[in-house]
Amino acid sequence: MSTVETENSTSSAPTAADTPPEPGTGTATRGAAIGDASVAGGARSGAVARAAGAGHRDRSDASPGAARAVLRLVGSELGLTFRRPRNIAMLILLACVPVVIGVALKAFGSDEETPAIVTQVAGNGLMLTFLSLSMLVQLLLPLAVGVVAGDSIAGEANAGTLRYLLTAPAGRTRLLAVKAVNIGVFGLAACAVVAVSGLITGLVMFPVGPVTLLSGTTVPIMDGVLRVLIVTGYSAVGMAALGLVGLAVSTLTEVPIGAVAATVVTVVFSQVIGAIPQLGPVRPYLLTTWWSSFDGALRDPIATDVMGQGLLVFAAYALVFGAIAWGRFSGRDITS
Amino acid sequence: MQSTWRRARAVRWAVPVAAFVVVGAAVGAGPVIAAVQGDPALPDRTAAQLLAEVAKTAQHQQPPAMSGTVVETASLGLPSLPLPSGTSSSPLSLLSGSHTLKVWYGGDGRLRLALPGQMSETDVISDGKGSAWLWESATNTVTRFTLPEGVKGDKGKEAEAAHTALPTATTPQDLADRLLKAADESTAVTVENGQHIAGRAAYQLVLTPKDSTSLVDRVTLALDGETYIPLRVQIFAKGAAEPAFEVGFTQVSFSAPAPENFAFTPPAGAKVKEQKPEAAKPGEPWSKDGAAGHAAPGAEAARAGARTHGSGWGTVAEVPFSLADLSKQQNGPRGGGDPAQMIESVLKSAKQVSGTWGSGKVITTKLVSVLLTDDGRLFAGAVTPEALVQAAGRK
Repeated sequence: MSTVETENSTSSAPTAADTPPEPGTGTATRGAAIGDASVAGGARSGAVARAAGAGHRDRSDASPGAARAVLRLVGSELGLTFRRPRNIAMLILLACVPVVIGVALKAFGSDEETPAIVTQVAGNGLMLTFLSLSMLVQLLLPLAVGVVAGDSIAGEANAGTLRYLLTAPAGRTRLLAVKAVNIGVFGLAACAVVAVSGLITGLVMFPVGPVTLLSGTTVPIMDGVLRVLIVTGYSAVGMAALGLVGLAVSTLTEVPIGAVAATVVTVVFSQVIGAIPQLGPVRPYLLTTWWSSFDGALRDPIATDVMGQGLLVFAAYALVFGAIAWGRFSGRDITS
Repeated sequence: MQSTWRRARAVRWAVPVAAFVVVGAAVGAGPVIAAVQGDPALPDRTAAQLLAEVAKTAQHQQPPAMSGTVVETASLGLPSLPLPSGTSSSPLSLLSGSHTLKVWYGGDGRLRLALPGQMSETDVISDGKGSAWLWESATNTVTRFTLPEGVKGDKGKEAEAAHTALPTATTPQDLADRLLKAADESTAVTVENGQHIAGRAAYQLVLTPKDSTSLVDRVTLALDGETYIPLRVQIFAKGAAEPAFEVGFTQVSFSAPAPENFAFTPPAGAKVKEQKPEAAKPGEPWSKDGAAGHAAPGAEAARAGARTHGSGWGTVAEVPFSLADLSKQQNGPRGGGDPAQMIESVLKSAKQVSGTWGSGKVITTKLVSVLLTDDGRLFAGAVTPEALVQAAGRK
C-alpha cells in the first residue's frame, strides 16, 4: 500500500495511525497505482476526490469538520449505491411485490384454504404491508441487502478502486464504518420501499379501517400505521445485521460475486438449519429465526420480550461480524 | 518492522475474538446471574410441611394476580407427526417440540392464555363475567363459551375446563393440581430446596413412583417459595436425563396485569360460534384435535365402554376402539391435519404382540404405551408394554 504511505508522509499523523505501513511490493504497486490513476472509473473517481477532499478538510479544522467529512463520505457512498442501476432495479422489484399480491388478491379473491392473514387483506388494506413484509423478509430482502453488502469492499477491490479510496487520508476504520452505514441505510430503504408500496397499494385497492391484530384486538388506524413503522424498523435492523455479515465476508475476498453468494448462502443455510426439528436448540442462535419475529408488533400487548430478544441477537451478530470485518480490513494488504 | 506489523495484525484479530467472547459470555451469564442473585433464603421444609402450607394458602387465599411466559417442551418420543405447515399455533402442535405460552391472570376468574405462532395466535380469554372466548387468528374464528352461573368467578375454572381435555395441560397450576391428587402411598415424595425458576426461589417436590411397571421415573413440581404457585412441572421418563415433558414459567410477575387483557370483542369479519355450557366440557373443541395425537379419537363413543385396570402409577385404561371407527371420523379435520394419516404414521412404528387374549399392536413412547388389540380394544397407560399385555389378559 505504497500510495497510502506516500500520502501519509506528506499529510497528517492520525491518518498514519489508521493505515499502518505495509511491507513488500513497494515499487511494483506504486507503478501500477500511477498507471491506473488516470483511468480510474468515472463514478468512483468522483468518490475518491470527495474522500480526498474530506481528508483535507479533516486536517485543516478539528472535530466538527471531521464529522462533516464523514457525512460527505457517507453521502458520496449513498449516492453511488442508490444510483447504481442494479440496486434501483432491486428496489423497484421489491416495490412491485406488494402490488402483485394486491392485484392477485383483488382479481382472484380467496377461498377456504387461504390463511386468515391473507383474507384479512381484503378487509383491510393495512394488512397488505404486513403480509408483504412477512413474505419478503425471508428471502428477497436478504438477497437485496446481501448484494449491496457483499459488493461493498470486494466490489471496490475487484474494480481496482479500493486503493484510490484509501489514498485519501480518510482512514480504513472510517471507510469501513461508512460502508456499514451505507448498507444499513440500503436495508432500511428496502424495507421502507416494501412498506410504502404495501401501504399505497392497500389504500388504493382495499378498504382501510381499524386493524384487527393477531390477538383478535381491534386498534385504530393510526395505531396500525405506528405498528407498520415498528415492523419496518425491526426488519431494517435485522437486515442491517445481515449486512454486517456480508461486509465481513466482503473483506475476505476480491471477488464480489463470491461475497454476495456467500452471504446469500449463509441465509439459506440458516433457514435450512432452522427448519430441521432435531436441530431445534440451535434455532434461537440463528439470525433468520428472528427476522419474522416482527409479528410481535401485531400482538396485544406488543411482544416486547420476543422482539427485544430479536434485537439483541441482531446486535450480537452486528458486533461480532463488524469486529471481524474490522480485524480483517484494517490489517489487510490491499493489492488491488 | 515485519514483526511489529505481524504483532499489530494479531492484536487486530483479538478484537473480533473479544467480541465473540463478550457475546458468548452475555448468552451464558444470564442463567448464572439468575442462580447467584436469589440466595436460597427459603427455610427447609419437609414434604408434609410444604404440602400443608400449600393447602393452607390454597384454602385461605385467592391465587395472586400474575402474568408470565410459560414454555412447554415435550419430547415424548412420538413418531414425528405429519403436521400441516402453518398450524404452529394449533393445540395439537403442543405434543412435540417446544412452545411458548403467555399467561395473564387477573383474579376473579379473569384469565388469558395466548399461544403465539408464526403470523398467527390462539387465545383463550375468560372475562370473569360468565363468558370465555377462544380466538384462532389462523382461521379467523371466535368461539364463545357461555358459562353456568355456579362456576363464574371461581379461580378461572371455566377457561381451565376448556383446557383439561388437552393431554398436555398448559398452565403449571392445572397440571400440579392433578399430580398432587395422584400422590398417595404409591409415591415417594421428597422436597428439594434452593431451586430458581424464572428468577424466583422455589421449593421442588420430587415424586418418585414405587410401581416398577411405570414408565415415569420421577415427576418434579416446583412451587414458588412465597406464593406457593406452581412454577414448573417436569416429567422424567425412566433412563432419561432430560425431562420428557416440561412446562414451566421462564418469566413471571406477580403484579396485576392490565385489565384490557381480559376483555374481548370479536373483531369485524370474524366467524363467531356459540358454545352452550354442556358442550364446553371436555370434548370440544380442544380434545377433537388434542386427543387425536393420543389415539383416542372415538372419544364420545368410547367413553361408554371405558374401564380401568390397576391403580396409581400403573393404571391402565381400556376403551373399545377400532380402526374402522377412525376412518369414519376422517372428514372435517378442521385444519388440524388428517387424523387417519396421523394414526397411520404412528402405527408404522407399532410392534406386533400376542397373548392368550389374542394379538395386537403396541406403540411405545417415552411416557405412554398403547396397545391396540385386533378384537377392537385399546389399552393405554404410563406403563411398560408388558404391563399392558398383562392387563389385556385380565378379563
